[in-house]
Amino acid sequence: MDDRLKETLSAMMDDEADELSVRRLLSREGQDEVCAQFQRWHQVRDLIQRRNPAVDSIDVSEGVRDILEGHDQGLDRGDVAGQPARKRWHWPAVAMVALALAVGFGAGTGWESGSLSSDQLAAAGDVPELPIKGMDEQQREQLSRYLLQHAQHNSFGSSHASMGYARAVSASGAEY
Amino acid sequence: MTADSDKQRDENSDSQTDLQLVRKVRHGDRSAFDLLVVKYQSRVASIIGRYVYDHQEVMDLTQETFVKAFRAMERFRGDSAFYTWLYRIAVNTAKNFLESRSRRPQSGADAADAENFEDGFRLRDNASPDRLLHRDQLQRELEAAISALPEELRSAFLLREYDGLSYDDIAGILECPIGTVRSRIFRARESVDRHLGPLLNDTRT
Repeated sequence: MDDRLKETLSAMMDDEADELSVRRLLSREGQDEVCAQFQRWHQVRDLIQRRNPAVDSIDVSEGVRDILEGHDQGLDRGDVAGQPARKRWHWPAVAMVALALAVGFGAGTGWESGSLSSDQLAAAGDVPELPIKGMDEQQREQLSRYLLQHAQHNSFGSSHASMGYARAVSASGAEY
Repeated sequence: MTADSDKQRDENSDSQTDLQLVRKVRHGDRSAFDLLVVKYQSRVASIIGRYVYDHQEVMDLTQETFVKAFRAMERFRGDSAFYTWLYRIAVNTAKNFLESRSRRPQSGADAADAENFEDGFRLRDNASPDRLLHRDQLQRELEAAISALPEELRSAFLLREYDGLSYDDIAGILECPIGTVRSRIFRARESVDRHLGPLLNDTRT
């Protein structure tokens, strides 16, 4: 570490370093050397201020680093203050697999109904009529066609189609 | 304002360096967190030592405090100084530890008082005679190293380390540019470090 960087580190000790210099210091290779220097200067400061004689030589930095590196690698070492390690289920992964299966199944169903011919669609129009009161023949026919179209859109997994379907049911319910 | 209160104010101020380091940590820079650990570990140990007397337990809880702080770093909003936030974690860690052992906290200290903690450290000093001797030797070497500094370096260094003055204030007192103050303090540290370096390396636990 050259003198210019050491001077920046010294200024950091005193909260007098500018951000650009700090960034330059932290982005250099060999952070162990920076950390060791910083620690020695802090030890000197503690000595000068006669702070905490019982812990003047405490150093947990390596232990903290080890635990956090284990944490990054997805290892729950559980060795913080003697706590036992806990086994954890990886629920996010399970949820992702379940979602992928559901989407795959839905998409398969949608592709199948998307391949219906116009004759099949016409035949599908002969669905049993719902006993909706107060509608004339033309209105019932229009509503049936509308619901059929939405059912077909739903099979493609289109969410806005579901909303339209809900609106149609709601409208019919409100009127009668 | 007294030198002591200046020092206290300096320690409790919302450190610009701390905020810079916190930002770097949030961007995934682990080495920035290492510097925060090095900077605060003895003070965190000190606060935990108000609750727990056993040296090994203090070490474990100090370590746990920093691990918790790292994991909670995203939640640090900067409403208080990093120093204060860290101290609150330390106090809670110590209290939780005592509760888990069905012991009452051995101190009336509260998280709200964390900013004022520094003196009155209660951890039992179980150092062996060898360590006590070593500590005395360090103190003597430190005094010798400071005495050996050229006058202009010594003045800047002591105004900073004993009195906690800012570079701006020191520049005013010594009637020199801030850059000169910065350079003198750095050179003083280098000199003291050369003097004490081998002894300091022996003290780490």
